[in-house]
Amino acid sequence: MPPQPIRVGPLERVDDYCWRLPRTAQPGMRVDGLVFARRDQLEVILADKAVDQVANVAHLPGIQTASLAMPDIHWGYGFCIGGVAAVDAEPGGVISPGGVGYDINCGVRLIRTNLHVADIQPHIKQLVAQLFRDIPTGPGHEGRFRFDAAMLKRLMRHGPRVLVEQGYGLERDIAFTEAGGCLQDAEPEWISERALLRGERQCGTLGGGNHFLEVQTVERIVDPDAAEAMGLKEGMVCVTIHSGSRGLGYQVCQDALHMLRGVPERYGIKLPDRQLACAPIHSEPGQHYLGAMRAAANFAWCNRQMLMHLTREAFAHVLRKPWPTLDMQLVYDVAHNIAKPEQHRVDGASKLVWVHRKGATRAFPPGHPELPDAYRRIGQPVLIPGDMGRASWVLVGQPGSMQRSFGSTCHGAGRAMSRTKAVQAAQGRQIERELAEAGVVARARGWRGLAEEQPAAYKDVDVVVDVVERAGLSKKVARLRPLGVIKG
Amino acid sequence: MTMYERIEHTADVGLRVEATTLNDLFAEAGRGLFELIVPNVADGRASQTLAIELRSDSLADLLCDWLTELVFLFETQRIVLSRFRVQVDDAAYSLQAQGTGEPLDTSRHRLGYEIKAVTYHELKLERAGNGWRAEVILDI
Repeated sequence: MPPQPIRVGPLERVDDYCWRLPRTAQPGMRVDGLVFARRDQLEVILADKAVDQVANVAHLPGIQTASLAMPDIHWGYGFCIGGVAAVDAEPGGVISPGGVGYDINCGVRLIRTNLHVADIQPHIKQLVAQLFRDIPTGPGHEGRFRFDAAMLKRLMRHGPRVLVEQGYGLERDIAFTEAGGCLQDAEPEWISERALLRGERQCGTLGGGNHFLEVQTVERIVDPDAAEAMGLKEGMVCVTIHSGSRGLGYQVCQDALHMLRGVPERYGIKLPDRQLACAPIHSEPGQHYLGAMRAAANFAWCNRQMLMHLTREAFAHVLRKPWPTLDMQLVYDVAHNIAKPEQHRVDGASKLVWVHRKGATRAFPPGHPELPDAYRRIGQPVLIPGDMGRASWVLVGQPGSMQRSFGSTCHGAGRAMSRTKAVQAAQGRQIERELAEAGVVARARGWRGLAEEQPAAYKDVDVVVDVVERAGLSKKVARLRPLGVIKG
Repeated sequence: MTMYERIEHTADVGLRVEATTLNDLFAEAGRGLFELIVPNVADGRASQTLAIELRSDSLADLLCDWLTELVFLFETQRIVLSRFRVQVDDAAYSLQAQGTGEPLDTSRHRLGYEIKAVTYHELKLERAGNGWRAEVILDI
């Protein structure tokens, strides 16, 4: 008798860092599910409906190889968070707004400085206060910048280049933004009036939920060669910004889902969850969504560009030096909610697929033609925010990502507790003071926000990045420790 | 029997709403939504009334569209609504509503969640006993 596979719940062990959900788990699955995780993570992963969602995604017509999940997997809506699905770009494949999410091109941007942690310590309280004053966070706080429909459409067509031309950044910023901050074939004219209205005052605003801006220091360099290419040194002060396409992007997704009502049925596509609504890529609704999604993605890069501009100004104000003398350079900006056409090997042949990444980061290996020259030798920087008390990581993409995960890796620590449980766990505690005792100055709009986003609500990011490294998807470069954070 | 409660969700927030009539269910869902955005909305003033009319493709879609409309009004008009009168036509999947409230005043209104969207994931609106029950998950 052949040896029986090791099983945990519905999952079968593939190796120490990968678990299979066989396609027989649910009628209608076209491919297996594969979850990258360590065995000791599985209890938390199986505690909510995330793995059911991996199975649901496996129903999408044209899905290739497997419905994938990264080790920061948790329950989302439609796709799980941490989900990756590559779908055939030829007729037969579909595009699903649920595989991108409402926050189109939610992503992360890392800025380095020439400051040492000792330079910033005397100013950190004032700096965090200044950032909190200058950068709108949470609901109901509008931005300093107001863009009319014509300008919004320019931003959506050309991305942050338009802002750089107006003095809100450097030419160099564009080169270090994924895709140069501009997806081609964006269709701003297809963006609804409602989406334009929601975006009018939101370029340069952080938003709520898990969005944040963090001042950090490079605590430990793991790969000196890659760190040097990125200009990172131990003790250096950095800033990580996590935000997306704001109301404009949310509305684009909402409009697309409205447009797709009845469309899967029309094409005979059976789906286990309405949030997975999709359309054949080459169909009119499919193309319409793609044009609008690209426009919203370009707007998200503009939003993060403006957030970086506000950050540079806040540093300059507090430290009384122009920001260019602080050498505040963009290390990289990468999306983790997006769908992109990419060339991957499927069954031994090169194939064009649409890779949906819902809470997953592109992780191209060294030598990939889409990387900026400065990083072609080391691989694409991957920015992994952890929680506000422990750490974040800088990784680089590895060849294993092209072999196992359609060029993808994790995107964060991933939640371990629901928001309600996190609030219960915070009763009687002062999260702000706990963070201060741990050396982190935190500012948020309310007690509840900090309680829900407290470190214990998240999985241990060190474990998550350990899994993606050992699975060969990406490699550790540097661990960043938080000094100050602003939240919605 | 009109009430709402929060549903456990790992990353987002869900609402479960129960009411005897569809009209009350929609009004209660609107109240629940605004209490997530502005937890002390009930202490607010009633200086402004908005009329909302919607038509949709099913009752569940109508609920999704209704809450989406409220998110849109908050975000674009900065209005905080605390009381609702809703007339649902369950045959036409349409509604006529009045929402009463006031402009957002951050000196008085405590701010809670920024709601990105009203999702279709596990969206339910069904008869329950002598009344109605709905479940909806909001992306935050």
